[in-house]
Amino acid sequence: MQRPKPLPNEVLSDLSVSAATKLQRLRHLGRYFKQSSKAMEQQVSRDARFYGSLIRLQQNWKVKRQRMAAIGPGSEGFSFDLLDNSFLDLTALSRPSSISTVRVDHHYSGILSIQRPQKSCRSISLRFIGADPRCKQKSFSRKKVYSSAEHPRTAKTEALTDEDVNECVKDTHSVLCEIHQSIFEEQVFDMVNHETYNPLPGVSVTGMREDFLQLAIGQETSVCLCLVPSGKEDVSQMVDPLGDSQNGESGLLNSDSMELSIVGDDKPDFLKLSGMPNPVSLEIYLLFIFLENVLARAKERRSCPVRAQVSGQPADDSCGVLGHFCMTVAHRIFSNKVLSELESLVNGVPYIQLLSHPTWHSRTSSWSLSLKVPQSVHAARRSKISDDHYLKHGMRSQFHTKVVVKDDQINVSGEGAPSIICSFRGSSSDVFSMNCYGCDLEDLPMILLQQVASQVIRWLHEEALVVGMKASRDFLCLYFDLDHGDTLGLVAHVDPDDINGCISWWVVMDDGSAEGKKLTDYGESEGRRFLGHLSLEALYATVMDLASLCSIGGIH
Amino acid sequence: MGPQGQTTSLQRLYLVEKRIVRVVELAGSVMDELANSTGPRTDILTTHCREFMQSIKEIQTTLREEIKSACEYRPFEKCDYSARISNEICCKKLEYIIEQLDGMQQSIDQCKDGI
Repeated sequence: MQRPKPLPNEVLSDLSVSAATKLQRLRHLGRYFKQSSKAMEQQVSRDARFYGSLIRLQQNWKVKRQRMAAIGPGSEGFSFDLLDNSFLDLTALSRPSSISTVRVDHHYSGILSIQRPQKSCRSISLRFIGADPRCKQKSFSRKKVYSSAEHPRTAKTEALTDEDVNECVKDTHSVLCEIHQSIFEEQVFDMVNHETYNPLPGVSVTGMREDFLQLAIGQETSVCLCLVPSGKEDVSQMVDPLGDSQNGESGLLNSDSMELSIVGDDKPDFLKLSGMPNPVSLEIYLLFIFLENVLARAKERRSCPVRAQVSGQPADDSCGVLGHFCMTVAHRIFSNKVLSELESLVNGVPYIQLLSHPTWHSRTSSWSLSLKVPQSVHAARRSKISDDHYLKHGMRSQFHTKVVVKDDQINVSGEGAPSIICSFRGSSSDVFSMNCYGCDLEDLPMILLQQVASQVIRWLHEEALVVGMKASRDFLCLYFDLDHGDTLGLVAHVDPDDINGCISWWVVMDDGSAEGKKLTDYGESEGRRFLGHLSLEALYATVMDLASLCSIGGIH
Repeated sequence: MGPQGQTTSLQRLYLVEKRIVRVVELAGSVMDELANSTGPRTDILTTHCREFMQSIKEIQTTLREEIKSACEYRPFEKCDYSARISNEICCKKLEYIIEQLDGMQQSIDQCKDGI
């Protein structure tokens, strides 16, 4: 049986229904496309933010991806790897760094954020035992952004501008820098601990705990190195020389613990430590030398891969990097003492200048004392005579005394101090005599004062010869031959503890029978007169006045 | 911000994505137009379809170029972590020295004021 032929109106209604259905489907399709395009637009801008940030960070940091791990919604398994492979095998890490991989989170608005690992951002802190931790200068700590405003930023979903994304990338970069630096400082701390297993000359380990190391350098100095959260001082870990731990709290650190007071501190100890080198500079130096050491070893390994690898320190002064560091600390302390001696000396003698010289070596310090003598008055009369004349005749306008300290050895080298040979030659112009000798800290002021005084005597001697006087000199004395066969002596007396001035002058008139007796024993008497602490000009005038008493051969 | 080519390439790919979005949007408008109860307007249809085909062509060209250059990118080749540490230490040294110099400047100013 066939289907009955449809009537015209049925055909028309079928057509209209199918047309309407088609239009409906087209509209659905249109709506679907529009909605898809909107959703895609949002997705595209989200992805652009995220991957744009990731690419910018990838220019500086290694990015790793785990495709299989579905760690959570909105995370594609990216992470930053902050470990430097070339460092790994050289630093002999005793503990794998747990903070070396930082996970990347993908916020639903497309902002990239990172998860800070626990206990990240620690740095090495060096402190001298007994020093007040609050005195430590940390005024230049860089802006810390880890408790930063990422959360408010990700909270707002609309109006996420390019500046927001930019800020976010910069913040993330700063955080990664901090974590990276902190990893390095932890590695340095581990290397320091590793080096303490070998014996070090002059250094002993007096305390060792987790993240804490205390060293005794020499007899008097105690240093502690600890890993502390950046920007905070580890006050609760301080140990006094008796070995008792002074805990203000239970050892938990939080940001409120900055104001901890140390139980049992006494003020005099702080004053004693004012001559200590700045601990911040020592921290920087410690990081620097360990980095140099690691880089040097890496370079060595790259250039000679065939050589059998010996794990351990290279011959770095044969005492290791830590040994070198401790000797640097000891040297700095010692050279501060030397410097304070030199400064008090220069305070006491107005015509000396103290100059510091850079040595570019951490265990050597160098200064020089410069004595500038006034120009000879006679130079004005003899204007034709050039400077060469003066130099040829051994006359100079400046005398230098150099003080060099290497580790704890003081070396004084000066010119103009007459040796035995010079005094035999008499008054003829002699060559520059450079004497060089070592001395102790206690003897240093005396030796330097004698050096300076002898340089003054030498200068006066030369000036006396210029005006034609018969003069001879001997260490700290200048002798003039008088008309009647007598000898007048101008004697320098040095005393480092004299508050009026360290070099004072006496005039002695005798025939040498009182040799060997100290000037101050007799005080002023017939044969000796105290002139006082004269300036160089006054001394020069005195010598010129004495010229009238001496037999002058043919000048006038 | 890095080699210029890299940033531009990223921008180009971003433009491609935006174009794809536009293309889908166009498809939606065409569908809407076709579903017009009074019948589609041919001029609008033609403009939309022309734009559609143009965009598809541009997308194809750009992608072809970018895929070629994308193979040249190699990550992790030069790890500069140790140089970064060196620079951080240099910065610390400089900050320390600047602090010392500021202190000296203050002392000098105080001495001048004292006079």
